[in-house]
Amino acid sequence: MLVGSLRKELADSVSSCRVLVVGAGGIGCELLKNLVLTGFKNIEVIDLDTIDVSNLNRQFLFQKKHVGKSKAQVAKESVLQFCPEANITAYHDSIMNPDYNVEFFKNFMLVMNALDNRAARNHVNRMCLAANIPLIESGTAGYLGQVTVIKKGLTECYECQPKPTQKTFPGCTIRNTPSEPIHCIVWAKYLYNQLFGEEDADQEVSPDTADPEASCESIICSVCRWLFYLCSQSMGSNDFDKRLRAILTAARAGASNQDGDIKRVSTKDWARSTGYDPVKIFNKLFKDDIMYLLTMDKLWKKRKAPQPLDWAVVQEMAYIQEEVSGQGLRDQQVLGVKGYAQLFCNSVETLRSQLAEKGEGAQLVWDKDDPPAMDFVTAAANLRMHVFSMNMKSRFDVKSMAGNIIPAIATTNAVIAGLIVLEALKILSGDLEQCRTVFLNKQPNPRKKLLVPCALDPPNTNCYVCASKPEVTVKLNVHKTLVQSLQDKILKEKFGMVAPDVQIEDGKGTILISSEEGETDANNSKCLSEFGIRNGSRLQVDDFLQDYTLLVNLLHCEDLEKDVEFEVVGDAPDKAPPAPNVPEEDKNIANGNQDSALPSTSSKVPIEKDDVLIVDSDEEPSSSTMEAAVEMGGVKRKLEDVETGGAGSKRKRLFELPINDDDIIALD
Amino acid sequence: MLDTVEKEDTVISEEEAAQYDRQIRLWGLDAQKRLRGSHVLLVGLRGLGAEVAKNLILAGVKGLTLLDHEEVTEESCRAQFLIPVGSEGQNRAQASLERAQYLNPMVDVKADTEPVESKPDEFFLQFDAVCLTGCPRDLMIRIDQICSQKNVKVFCGDVFGYHGYMFSNLGPEHHYVEEKLKAVKPSEGTSDGPDTKKPKVDPSETTMVKKTASFCSLKEALEIDWTSEKAKASLKRTPADYFLLQVAPLPSPFAPSVLLKFRTDKGRDPQPSSFADDSTILRQIRDDVLEAQGLASDLIPDEFVSYCFSEMAPVCAVVGGVLGQEIVKALSQRDAPHRNFFFFDGLKGSGVVDYFATK
Repeated sequence: MLVGSLRKELADSVSSCRVLVVGAGGIGCELLKNLVLTGFKNIEVIDLDTIDVSNLNRQFLFQKKHVGKSKAQVAKESVLQFCPEANITAYHDSIMNPDYNVEFFKNFMLVMNALDNRAARNHVNRMCLAANIPLIESGTAGYLGQVTVIKKGLTECYECQPKPTQKTFPGCTIRNTPSEPIHCIVWAKYLYNQLFGEEDADQEVSPDTADPEASCESIICSVCRWLFYLCSQSMGSNDFDKRLRAILTAARAGASNQDGDIKRVSTKDWARSTGYDPVKIFNKLFKDDIMYLLTMDKLWKKRKAPQPLDWAVVQEMAYIQEEVSGQGLRDQQVLGVKGYAQLFCNSVETLRSQLAEKGEGAQLVWDKDDPPAMDFVTAAANLRMHVFSMNMKSRFDVKSMAGNIIPAIATTNAVIAGLIVLEALKILSGDLEQCRTVFLNKQPNPRKKLLVPCALDPPNTNCYVCASKPEVTVKLNVHKTLVQSLQDKILKEKFGMVAPDVQIEDGKGTILISSEEGETDANNSKCLSEFGIRNGSRLQVDDFLQDYTLLVNLLHCEDLEKDVEFEVVGDAPDKAPPAPNVPEEDKNIANGNQDSALPSTSSKVPIEKDDVLIVDSDEEPSSSTMEAAVEMGGVKRKLEDVETGGAGSKRKRLFELPINDDDIIALD
Repeated sequence: MLDTVEKEDTVISEEEAAQYDRQIRLWGLDAQKRLRGSHVLLVGLRGLGAEVAKNLILAGVKGLTLLDHEEVTEESCRAQFLIPVGSEGQNRAQASLERAQYLNPMVDVKADTEPVESKPDEFFLQFDAVCLTGCPRDLMIRIDQICSQKNVKVFCGDVFGYHGYMFSNLGPEHHYVEEKLKAVKPSEGTSDGPDTKKPKVDPSETTMVKKTASFCSLKEALEIDWTSEKAKASLKRTPADYFLLQVAPLPSPFAPSVLLKFRTDKGRDPQPSSFADDSTILRQIRDDVLEAQGLASDLIPDEFVSYCFSEMAPVCAVVGGVLGQEIVKALSQRDAPHRNFFFFDGLKGSGVVDYFATK
């Protein structure tokens, strides 16, 4: 017998089971609709976000009147209108909140992710592994999408395969030698924080004198060369005098910079001392700092040298406004240099008063949807692009890059949410072996498939998350790495933990980091070697919320590349060492997965923000490797379907789900 | 109509730009403007129709007419989220109107409760695109012929249980643009010395390329003679859904059409409430149509009857998503359209695009 399209037994388990939907955004709205229409009755949904006007083109459970309200709550109310008999619980909260512990996850037959960021995906992955609950993962970007199923011990987990790292930029590219608009945009976002937000030593914007490319050049040499150059230009004496003074000031700043940024006045203090005078800030950034860069003339031997911009000179320029597309939107127009100089000036004034209103010691937080903040970044980035002879960009385009906006449409989310429910039905029927990863392509592949189902891969026995005894090896300098960076940059950011406890395996069980607030704060500013940590030391790291234990082997290394604080051994797939065939010590480790036989010595999951979706592969066995051009936000990337030598797997898919975070990370 | 009516003067307001931001970043302002000037007729307001309506209204067409003369029943709104509870007995299009309008107040949404069969030819020509769901095959062929002569884009689609399909006819010459990366010339900047005035090339800059695609009529798409050698050779690669769904010529004695034949014979689709009887009829129709073609009946295994009843909501979402996007592409004249069928098998998660034409 059938109930609707479903067999009676299946329809019964659908209406009686309890499921968790993580995220009530683009995929989440469509998913909630599909679930209730398929007969699911007991649904819990969680989302910490509120509704924005830019959601309304696809998140159809929301209307304009709901802008600013909780997504989870409004989604629940809208769904109840067409399915009042559903029993929906909405949480306006983060799934990473410790209230949602392993016991909470065990309440569900099934968890479905409809997320947009890797941190939450990593976390839910671990919670579902710990609770041994099947997880359906999904993601979309523009026309592309993907759905897959994760079940402990049977399939790859979300973190089994390394994710491509987001493109990061060396500090000196951002500070000295930008060659693409994105470098100027990253610089402008840093500048916003340096002036108005939280100052971060990793987000320096002034010229970097330690640039290895310019290193042999002494400042004095450059100044002499410049003086000579300026004399040869036979300029008016007043102008000459001004320029000379600027160069000497810059040189002094540079000299103090060289002994470690210690004596230098911070950009914010300097700006404050001028009363946030837009003209002074303009001239410092686009004239003085650029002239200083010009003194590092090794940099410009093979590059086009930047051209300093003087506020007074810009004011003399004719106002030219180029329009990108006819009578386009204001946002899509490219203003001229003068237009951006004016926008810079206006936005500095607005932000100055916003900061003043917040009171002493307050900070602004950059947000792409805050108009003056976006204006400031648009103007500063474009002025820098002009200085470095790049074509300027519209506010619309700058916003895409600065906000890392992934285009999103209703139809892709609808398709993906439909596929999620179809996988859910297979899980409820007990047909886990029928589950597939399904890719949605923009165009059909050579086998005519627009939707491509692929068999699920077995777990990676070396995975640092789902292996029976997860283990990684990290290279760092024990004399330089602070306990604080171990906690924040390595354990939290890199290895996705929420509240790690760290114990040194030194026979004494020294506690290095405690998740109890304040217990080990005194250790934070000390470096690892102060605790007897040296080459070959091992740390046992536990995250009780995630029910996850990771053994970290440390290798002391003095010659890491500039700007690199640590390196995970085997991070790059091609550098991964073969899995060692070492007998396993039989220790009881809390992750609970006893299936896999080998310990792992390598880890592979970079944590960063811009995921790329790989859309290829086919269920039928194939020896051919194919390439897919993936388009995201007008940028096409060519991705290769890499073959692995892995256990019986003919192809390798990087399981990549697009995410939508605001941050661009630059290496500094 | 797209080519004859000047749509370029449609102005996008700042309000629209804010609401449509995430899709303008995907298909561009020009595509959004064309969409903003388009009128669409949607026939059939069951599960699939509701999905298509939602997708078109959210995308921001100028106007959408919902046409359905039938009444709301429990079965017909199983996968229908636009119809409020307690609307049994009301007209389906009318009952869907209010919720549909809430999705996007900037779109002009109308309901039409007259039977589509009663509409004169001219009626269809006032639209830029017509999308037919839940219609009998001969009606689809008739409307396809009327529309394709006047450059009205035609779309058809249906969902039967775990299976669904869509068809499109954008005419013999459909013009569209595609975004291509600008070819970056090998850098010569260094030889010019550091003082070149030339702006640097942004590696992500793209350019628009004009292209044309041609489509056949629905009638031609259905008149394939599966007894021909060539057709037999391609049979291996043909999705079984082609036969399972209604895709075959009505008048032909070789018509391999199971579900549409059921619809034609019975004047309705298979009902879960009469599962046993309808299953027997479906298997019989399957045997008849495949045998008439000289095709083995195991092309469509017996189990198919368990998976083709009612409209399954997730299958409506998938087919309605693909169908909705194809309509958006056609109206905005942006990106290569899928030619000319899409078949979805919800059991396998497989979605195939294939071109069927007699020539």
